[in-house]
Amino acid sequence: MMIEKTVKIVNNAGLHTRPAATIVKLASKYKCDFNILKDGLNINGKSIIGVMTLAAEMGSELLLTFDGVDEKEASEEISDYFNRGFDEL
Amino acid sequence: MIKIDQKAVSRKESITVEFLFKNSKDKFKLRLLSDESGFSKNIYEQNLHRPGLALTGFVDLFSFSRVQIFGNTEMSFLRQLPDDQKEETLRRIFKFNIPCIILTDNNVPFPKLIDLANEFRIPLFSSPFSTTKLVFLVSDFLDDQFAPRVSIHGSFVDVYGAGVLFVGKSGIGKSEVTLDLVERGHRLVADDIIILTKKGEGILIGSGTNLAKHFMEIRGLGIIDVERMFGIRAIRFQKRLEIIVELEVWDEKEEYTRTGLDEKFISILDVDIPYVKLPILPGKNITVISEVISLNYLLKHYGHDASKIFEQRLNDRLKEKKVDDLRGVDYFEHDFE
Repeated sequence: MMIEKTVKIVNNAGLHTRPAATIVKLASKYKCDFNILKDGLNINGKSIIGVMTLAAEMGSELLLTFDGVDEKEASEEISDYFNRGFDEL
Repeated sequence: MIKIDQKAVSRKESITVEFLFKNSKDKFKLRLLSDESGFSKNIYEQNLHRPGLALTGFVDLFSFSRVQIFGNTEMSFLRQLPDDQKEETLRRIFKFNIPCIILTDNNVPFPKLIDLANEFRIPLFSSPFSTTKLVFLVSDFLDDQFAPRVSIHGSFVDVYGAGVLFVGKSGIGKSEVTLDLVERGHRLVADDIIILTKKGEGILIGSGTNLAKHFMEIRGLGIIDVERMFGIRAIRFQKRLEIIVELEVWDEKEEYTRTGLDEKFISILDVDIPYVKLPILPGKNITVISEVISLNYLLKHYGHDASKIFEQRLNDRLKEKKVDDLRGVDYFEHDFE
């Protein structure tokens, strides 16, 4: 099984360094594979260089995929963090 | 075995004439003869077209959406027409939505050609290259632009001249092996996100992304700049992908090759790439093993396949059916060194 979720960047500054580091930290707690897809670029969500390379600006849409034993918990916590605008709203 | 996510495969739908001009004007020695009003037009195809027949009036099946090449044939045909027919002929094909026109062999356009190109907003270029040469150059450029590409998570290093891509789970130590290899004089192509582009048939060329370049992350340390730290000798911008090495924690249930006779391949964008699965064990030096994988690949490439040669030696011995002394040297003489 695999969980897919589409999220939107809602904060003004976009996906900058601080939220990128937080996402990687959140994802690393879980065992499941976590990937982010944007404009044909597929990156590993547990890698800081990968998440920063997305350069996701405000308004852009990302597809999150979770695959593994704890995919449900991971997908909920991480997509919630996106929807909260990285606590910058 | 790694999975290639089909969603990570992409291909450019179109490029603008402006993009073609900006990125290739030095290479193709292109000169703009018209104004820039048609620069936003899109090119959708890598094929080119020489509109010889269309100029004579046969416009059925005219491949107008391709970049049009006017060589010596087209230009001398146009030049020998009387002025009113020149205009009529050009108007007939300019009605179609042509992205742009390139004159080869330094052909000089007559004034009417430039006027009409401007009127129909068709960018007009000229190049000193011969038609054959220019067609080759432009096709290769467009082929690369429209080539399928895929992004993949891993570390890509040039090890003794062979392009080795390390893949595996996050945190398994791909970046650490890469750093170790760079320290030993090998060259980093990219870490973390590798963009593989299909070049021609059967070749994949890997490079990093625009943004990440030769930056990499080392766990517990953060982001480092490999180019600054180790200098220009430690990096390269692109490399053909030749071997994929998957690092994984030793799994008792998994079967690992012992002879190397059973070669495995991974298919990426329909290109088969040799694949090695490398279990990680305490005390195992992955860096040195990676160098050996690369050297073994090079030996095979030059016709020396160690596993096959050993198998051959065994088969020869079995055929001889004679019992030999097991020792590899018949007589040690008086050599006590």
